[in-house]
Amino acid sequence: MTKIIALAGNPNSGKTTMFNDLTGSTQHTGNWPGVTVEKKEGRLKGRRDVTVQDLPGIYSLSPYSPEELVARNYLVKERPDVIVNIVDATNIERNLYLTTQLAELGIPVVIALNMIDIVNKNGDLIDIRQLGEALGCAVVPTSALKGTGLEKAAETALSCSGKPPLSPRPIFSGDVEGALAEIGSLLSERRKERGETPLTATELRWSSIKVFERDAEQTANPDTLLGAGAAARIEEIIRALEDRYDDDSESIITNERYLFIAGVVRECVQKKNRHTLSASDKIDRVVTNRVLALPIFAGVMFLVYFLSISTIGGYMTDWVNDSLFGDIVPNAVGGLLDSLGTAEWLNALILDGIIAGVGAVLGFLPQMLVLFLCLAFLEDCGYMARIAFILDRVFKRFGLSGKSFIPILVGTGCGVPGIMASRTIESDNDRRMTVMTTTFIPCGAKLPIIALIAGALFPGSMWIAPSAYFLGIAAILITGVMLKKTRGFAGKPSPFVMELPAYHMPGAPGVLRTMLDRGLAFVKRAGTIILIAAIVIWFLSSFDFSLRMAETSDSILAAIGGAVAPIFDPLGWGDWRATVATVTGLIAKENIVGTFGVLYGFGEVAEDGAEYWPQLAAAFTPLAAYAFLAFNLLCAPCFAAIGAIRREMMSAKWTWFAVGYQCGFAYVVALIIYQMGMLASGHFGVGTVFAILCILVIVYMLFIKKPYAGADAKNTQRLAAAAAAAE
Amino acid sequence: MPLTMASPGDGEFTIHKISGRDHTIRRLAEMGFVTGATITVISEVAGNLILGVKGTRVALDKTLAQRIMV
Repeated sequence: MTKIIALAGNPNSGKTTMFNDLTGSTQHTGNWPGVTVEKKEGRLKGRRDVTVQDLPGIYSLSPYSPEELVARNYLVKERPDVIVNIVDATNIERNLYLTTQLAELGIPVVIALNMIDIVNKNGDLIDIRQLGEALGCAVVPTSALKGTGLEKAAETALSCSGKPPLSPRPIFSGDVEGALAEIGSLLSERRKERGETPLTATELRWSSIKVFERDAEQTANPDTLLGAGAAARIEEIIRALEDRYDDDSESIITNERYLFIAGVVRECVQKKNRHTLSASDKIDRVVTNRVLALPIFAGVMFLVYFLSISTIGGYMTDWVNDSLFGDIVPNAVGGLLDSLGTAEWLNALILDGIIAGVGAVLGFLPQMLVLFLCLAFLEDCGYMARIAFILDRVFKRFGLSGKSFIPILVGTGCGVPGIMASRTIESDNDRRMTVMTTTFIPCGAKLPIIALIAGALFPGSMWIAPSAYFLGIAAILITGVMLKKTRGFAGKPSPFVMELPAYHMPGAPGVLRTMLDRGLAFVKRAGTIILIAAIVIWFLSSFDFSLRMAETSDSILAAIGGAVAPIFDPLGWGDWRATVATVTGLIAKENIVGTFGVLYGFGEVAEDGAEYWPQLAAAFTPLAAYAFLAFNLLCAPCFAAIGAIRREMMSAKWTWFAVGYQCGFAYVVALIIYQMGMLASGHFGVGTVFAILCILVIVYMLFIKKPYAGADAKNTQRLAAAAAAAE
Repeated sequence: MPLTMASPGDGEFTIHKISGRDHTIRRLAEMGFVTGATITVISEVAGNLILGVKGTRVALDKTLAQRIMV
């Protein structure tokens, strides 16, 4: 029979590093059912019969966040054989809070006292044996970053797994313990009445605490359903204590846990008395300084882009695009196909369809890997959390949270991991809004479109690329302000609470793993959805309706494009080629450049489509071209990103809303740009009227008082009144 | 006084009361912000604070800091 070790611990306690070390490459990831919380499990290295189950990083087992609920339901219902609780020894007091809750579950707990090397370096002393005795669990000092103590922790866990756990010692004050005992006896009487098997002492204690805390999840549980008499009696017991402590029962429990922990820490930990600031705090004094914070942030961002887009990543991407998929691979495969003597249509499919299509996407991989490497480094060293803090003030004005910035930042590389990064945002409204707006920022795949339009229509102009980012940011902020005023998104901005891990030098394996995971997700989509799409587009653009090979201008794709194109007339680019290119952009945004290439009769084009710039310049006016660019930057992202939106929204309705909003917003913005530009040169028509109407609506939405703010305040008042009445 | 009036370098404060009963306050409690705990202000940007509590660093916005009395 396989044994299960569950890993539980606070965020930033080193749990992920430990999980990676314990399982090596055997892990697989998925989602916990019903929520977008990542589920990771793997086999213990060298032990095929032991499963290591990683639980999400949590501060407690209360039922207030999806992570906590997932972890708690797993521990209570699935009952792993043993819990390894990773405790960050450098802030042991806060970390032990979760430990006191885990110890109540009746599952053996082994504490992995992590980051012990840093404690030793600071000159602090922790009495391991005494700590274990006080908490009723085995304690193993570890350093996940250095890889020490992990095997011992796993061994200890396995040796504990069969044995009954030490019964938790009373950690609360006499009053509370008395109340818990009374509730416990009422609960077991009730079970006896109903003819159920009596609970074990640990189960009874866990249930009693949950009932005392008025835990919604537990009291909804039929197991503890009480008779009316007992329920009233229990409520009386709780009320009496609440009055005596002048606090609600849940806070009483929280406070007493911390009192107990403070006692344990006093006994077992000797801190070298240090009143000086730690190195991490000194960095924070500079990096989050009110004057320096934004300039430092801008400098860091510049460095990231300098490394990934302008220099290292850029050079490698150029090589992959121009040489690898430009010459080397097509020539090699072409030679091979020639020597095999395959049919001409098959050659065309493989060379023009598959290699050109998939190659165009893979060309961005080097750039993206460097970007992901930089971002993983920023995340691991602790700076990313500070960015959210620094920008929270700015973002809150626009109805977004500082935490929205991280998805947007990642989204500049690729929208898919960007959308996935929105998971850290707790508030549903903020998270949905972030998911919807993340892809407004130009991702790596949109850069070629910008290069194409800038090169063909605005030669020598420096402002096109910056204006694309500006447009993206403006779209995000305007959307934030507008949606906050709709019924669906109204409400107070959620408060900002975030733990800031101490700055530290990230370990290379962790950073590389994050980079590779994100890169791999990108390659996977290139290998699947983009492969299929490339084949379909190639087919549609190479055959006519009678399924004979035809010129692109006579193809099925041209016919479809021609039928749809009039929709885009008011935007200035009702040409079927532009329409077809936009549609192929749904597969991968950079496809737009390649599609134009095919449609203008060039088999292979450079990344920025330089070969057909003259044709494009003849087909578009600069104004229409910019409207085309704006539409394509803002409209629905590629299928892969839409898939990511679907996964994060967990609802088809919200996904359709997001995509519909993005397309509608893109259309309106492009319409305004084109029609206002035309107006400036003296043209006035129906389109102008619509554009002006759209501007008026947006301005109205931006500047009206929040229509639902009043309702919100009333709700709060009503709740407060109800709470007062209840007391 | 509300925590918003404290500045970096003021030394340690003891939490006297945290007002409010919503989930955010619960979350704060779980992260170590309980009555009687000592906290230090590490940094301040436009009213938002970085606080040291029980050995960890936690960032809070102004609206939350206003609800913590020290």
